[in-house]
Amino acid sequence: MRIRPIPPLGSFSSNPPVDLALIHQVLSDDLLFEIFVRMTPYGLGVAACVCRKWRYATRNPVLWQKACLTTWQIFGVEENLQMVRSSYGGSWRRMWIMRPRLRFDGIFVSRNTHLRTGVAEWKVLNPVHLVCYYRYIRFYPSGRFLYKVSPHRLKEVAKYLHGKGSMVNSVYAGRYTLDHNNNQVDATTLYPGLKTVVRIRMRIRSTTEGANNRLDILAIVTSGIQEAEIGGHEEQVLEAVEGWQEDETHNPDVPAVSHKRGLAPFVFVPFHEVETSDLNLPVEKMDFYVPG
Amino acid sequence: MLPGSIQPPKSLWLETADGLQEEVEHEVAMLCPFVYNEVYHQPGKGMTRKTPILLPQQVSMSVLKPILEYCRFHQLPGRSNKERKLFDERFIRLDTKRLCELTAAADSLQLKALVDLTSRALARMIEGKTPEEIRETFHLPDDLTEEEKLEPLRNTTDDPRIRLLNRLYAKKRKELQEKEKLKGINQAELQDERSLEDLLLFINGTGEDSKSRKGGRCKKKRNHRKKKEHSKAEISENASSSKIDPESDDAFTFDTELDGDDDLDPLMKEELDREVEDFARRLNFGWPGRQISRVSSALLIESWGDGNKE
Repeated sequence: MRIRPIPPLGSFSSNPPVDLALIHQVLSDDLLFEIFVRMTPYGLGVAACVCRKWRYATRNPVLWQKACLTTWQIFGVEENLQMVRSSYGGSWRRMWIMRPRLRFDGIFVSRNTHLRTGVAEWKVLNPVHLVCYYRYIRFYPSGRFLYKVSPHRLKEVAKYLHGKGSMVNSVYAGRYTLDHNNNQVDATTLYPGLKTVVRIRMRIRSTTEGANNRLDILAIVTSGIQEAEIGGHEEQVLEAVEGWQEDETHNPDVPAVSHKRGLAPFVFVPFHEVETSDLNLPVEKMDFYVPG
Repeated sequence: MLPGSIQPPKSLWLETADGLQEEVEHEVAMLCPFVYNEVYHQPGKGMTRKTPILLPQQVSMSVLKPILEYCRFHQLPGRSNKERKLFDERFIRLDTKRLCELTAAADSLQLKALVDLTSRALARMIEGKTPEEIRETFHLPDDLTEEEKLEPLRNTTDDPRIRLLNRLYAKKRKELQEKEKLKGINQAELQDERSLEDLLLFINGTGEDSKSRKGGRCKKKRNHRKKKEHSKAEISENASSSKIDPESDDAFTFDTELDGDDDLDPLMKEELDREVEDFARRLNFGWPGRQISRVSSALLIESWGDGNKE
């Protein structure tokens, strides 16, 4: 069975071009769908640029429905269904592109630098140190995230930003919520010792449409919490701090501090770029406009 | 022979699409739902070489061999999961042609597990490549127009363009207002203000026009001619405004510092500038109608130029 390829618009050749693509001769449209359904949404976007047939094949709403329901699974199927009907004209693909979402296929990195005067020693009379440290966040679609603050660079830290948080590597696990009215993400985690809770409020931004690759920090607040409020379950930490004011603290030992420094926006780095990203450059070589 | 005492045959005869017969162990062949159905509906089929089960046309002998190998391996209950995984990994190390044939054959035989395996392998092959690389790997034709190749995640309706244009207009409006204020301090030339207002009206007017026109056409599928008409209006504004950009930016890098903080911070402004120029460049790429728009934009620039002369 030979499938005649669709000639591109505007071609007037008398003999129809033979579609040399073996894949189109051999694979039925159903099988092409089977392949696409096993790809990530960004892979689908790239596939849509390959040829005309694939452009149409990737428009299949089932593919985008699956992508949407996976990404916004913390809201549940019902709410997502309602959203797509009311705000996006029933098009799952449009919701995927236009609605703000967190990206789970990489790590968000916030690079903070400041200057510190040092102690004069030997011949160096007025030393000034450039302090550079990073905040790393990795989100999961289930509502969990991992957080680490470290002076180490991305490619080293990426190796242990997975699984459960570990005390050894000071990777903290927490939970987040997403508010799509104002693109805000509230992430809450508990420091070990169960006395201090860290709340980070961020806003999602995109440099190009649909990229969702920047998180601007609105506030980072550390406050005290009573052990009893959590009851030993870190999943409940979100409910425990719900509705807290910025300066609220439930543990007199730990004052509520809203941090003013180190609030550089998070830049998203997909996993396949972790090794090669510019954020791995040492301080002297780094372009200060990379976080953008 | 009593019907109840029919023994299941030790082997079945299968005939491939290219007319070759193969004798296969019974349990192995029955792993394929296709074969199972054939035997169920036509008992006695496949018993002899002369009456083989006819396999679907996607299954040639060269493809049947690996499929049988797969069935033979997985049919044994005594294999551990790890063993199966290892086998699968090695099994799918084939070139794309073979993989495609294998997928089609497995699908025709209704071997869901194998279809899943091969599809995943093909998906892995596609993922992470650029479109050019994908085309090379699969020998796909490069038949999308330049315009269609832009930004994979862009909407086919023109919503993002409208939004970007709106941002552009808002920004330009703000800059024009500031310029007006400055001019008000320096000189009081009525001529200038009027032309500026005209231009603002013009931008507002056509901006809304093209918006409403777009809204109506949104539902229709891609209609290239109509699109070109709309975009001409957009391009003429964009071309003129993008040409303004370098001038106004030069004038403004000093001015905004005087004014203090803008509504947009300078980084966002830079970004917007970049996006606008990028966008204008891309539009010019895709639309052959720009010849005509150049003329109209030239006329526009004259009036702009007059307004901007200090």
